[in-house]
Amino acid sequence: MLKLIQNEWMKLWSKKATWIMTGLLVFAILGMFGLTKWIDTVNNYEKQDWKTSVQGELTYVKEDLSNSGLDADQRERMEGQEKVLEYRLANSIEPLDSNSRESMIMNSGAIGSIAVLLTVIVAAGIVASEFTQGTIKMLLSRPVKRWKILTSKYVTVISFGIFLMLIGFVVSMLGAYLFFQSGNGQELVWNGKEVVEVSAWGKGLYMLLLSFANVFVTATFAFMIGSVFRSSSLAIGLSLFIYFMGSTLVMILAKYEVVKYIVFTHMDLTIYETDFRIVEGITMSFSLAILAVYIVIFLFISYMTFIKRDITA
Amino acid sequence: MEMKPIVELKNLSKTIGRKKIIDNLSLSLYPGQITGFLGPNGAGKTTTIRMMVGLMEPSGGDIVIDGKLLADDFEEGLSKVGVIVENPEMYKFMSGYKNLLHFARMHEGVTKARIEEIINQVGMQNRIHEKVSTYSLGMRQRLGLAQALLHRPKFLILDEPTNGLDPAGIREFRTYLKLIAEKEGVSVFVSSHMLSEIELMCDRIAVIQNGKLVDIRDMSGEQESHYYIEAFPAEAAESMLKGEGFTVEAHEAGFIINAEKTQIPGLVQQMMAKEMQLFAVQPHRKTLEDQFLEMTGGGQIAEAHTK
Repeated sequence: MLKLIQNEWMKLWSKKATWIMTGLLVFAILGMFGLTKWIDTVNNYEKQDWKTSVQGELTYVKEDLSNSGLDADQRERMEGQEKVLEYRLANSIEPLDSNSRESMIMNSGAIGSIAVLLTVIVAAGIVASEFTQGTIKMLLSRPVKRWKILTSKYVTVISFGIFLMLIGFVVSMLGAYLFFQSGNGQELVWNGKEVVEVSAWGKGLYMLLLSFANVFVTATFAFMIGSVFRSSSLAIGLSLFIYFMGSTLVMILAKYEVVKYIVFTHMDLTIYETDFRIVEGITMSFSLAILAVYIVIFLFISYMTFIKRDITA
Repeated sequence: MEMKPIVELKNLSKTIGRKKIIDNLSLSLYPGQITGFLGPNGAGKTTTIRMMVGLMEPSGGDIVIDGKLLADDFEEGLSKVGVIVENPEMYKFMSGYKNLLHFARMHEGVTKARIEEIINQVGMQNRIHEKVSTYSLGMRQRLGLAQALLHRPKFLILDEPTNGLDPAGIREFRTYLKLIAEKEGVSVFVSSHMLSEIELMCDRIAVIQNGKLVDIRDMSGEQESHYYIEAFPAEAAESMLKGEGFTVEAHEAGFIINAEKTQIPGLVQQMMAKEMQLFAVQPHRKTLEDQFLEMTGGGQIAEAHTK
């Protein structure tokens, strides 16, 4: 199996496109940082006193809380926010400036959205290209069972995704240190019992992990389409379509119970770290379970068609 | 031929939709023998080969490789088989060497030294590190042969192997196949449309038509000798020849008879005595093409071609 994965890596990196994509990822991330920095220096607006803005935010939260239309989850989150804001005022702890180095590190979830696009291209092509090149007959007329070959390809896709995320993380760390100053503030969070400090690195890595779920699911979907229809362009097209249209669909269906069971609702796990939700009443473990079910279905379809298929022409 | 066959096809069938592509095909292939696989277009040659190497699943029947059912132990069975299915498609974006390395990793026990050895054997050492996209068709064929032989298979399947080789290349290829069949006892199974090629190369031919095996015959054995005779009046000549007990077959303006060399002088004297006019008496060698057309019925090919 290791040799098969080695083969897939060799083929992957023998293609120029792979190097270009990786370069693109590095370039895009550095570009994003540069742009943020540039905008930051151009808009040299006067900074508000942080205490006033925290005070303002607190008033909003309190106002919302007095509203009776909230469900339990929303109320809980709001109360957490309230606790954090009160703690800031009481102990005079400044929130992080959005253009500080720490904010940049914590913002690592954005790497995922670039990595998705590139991983999908690889996932869509890794099986389909063997068919279009005609090399599939050379590959499958070997003393190696088909499920092993497909597994080596899937492992390669996922590890390529991980690889891109890590490269992306390293580059954005570099960017954060190169372009931005460390801020005075401190990230705080309400853990249910008390307000605690959050380390930027810890949160950054955690966000990276959460956004990887998206890469994982979308790539598995592309992998399935690529191996079922043997067309990488169809797989890329469909995957990106659902990737971009997924959240729109969720918004349309948000009122109905069924929304909880469609995959798009759960693809972005970073929602559990922010206070913005489209669908209420779901938890992280529920999301993970739904994602797992979808992954199993996608893989089952890929394996069945790949193993059963007669290779003609 | 009391040798143990290396490959046996037993009542092999393949149905796609309602159409029976392969119908109860049984065939045994022996070590050290080169067997030609002939058939008109669409007869099922490629389907048979694809089933033998696991690219297609048979609808019925068994494939036995070296005494074991392929369906039971796929990896064990195929480790003894080397194959080129139609044109060898390689990874064009990689060098020839990386392609070989890729396929070597899919077999047990192919060393770097073995890869070097096979590269030298097919004469690719000068360009092996260049990308396959820069290779000519002939070079790709050589590389295809190299990947099929990497793991020293006991059984080699070649589908249209000489396609794209120049005459020198074809001759070299033929000599090489004969060599590995004789020296290493490899059983070779070659499908081809080039009948003259098969004729020069094979010890035995199997002919398939409409998914059924029509005939198997040995090429190595002494062929029955035939003579072409053209005489006037033709009717008299025909009845005379028939009277002598020859099988007479009309051919061009005369007849072909199954006569031995020693019978000819007597025959000529007889015809002279009857004052027949003799235009030609010459040995006639039936080419494989004649035999092939005889076996499959020429019309079938034409039909298949026009489809």
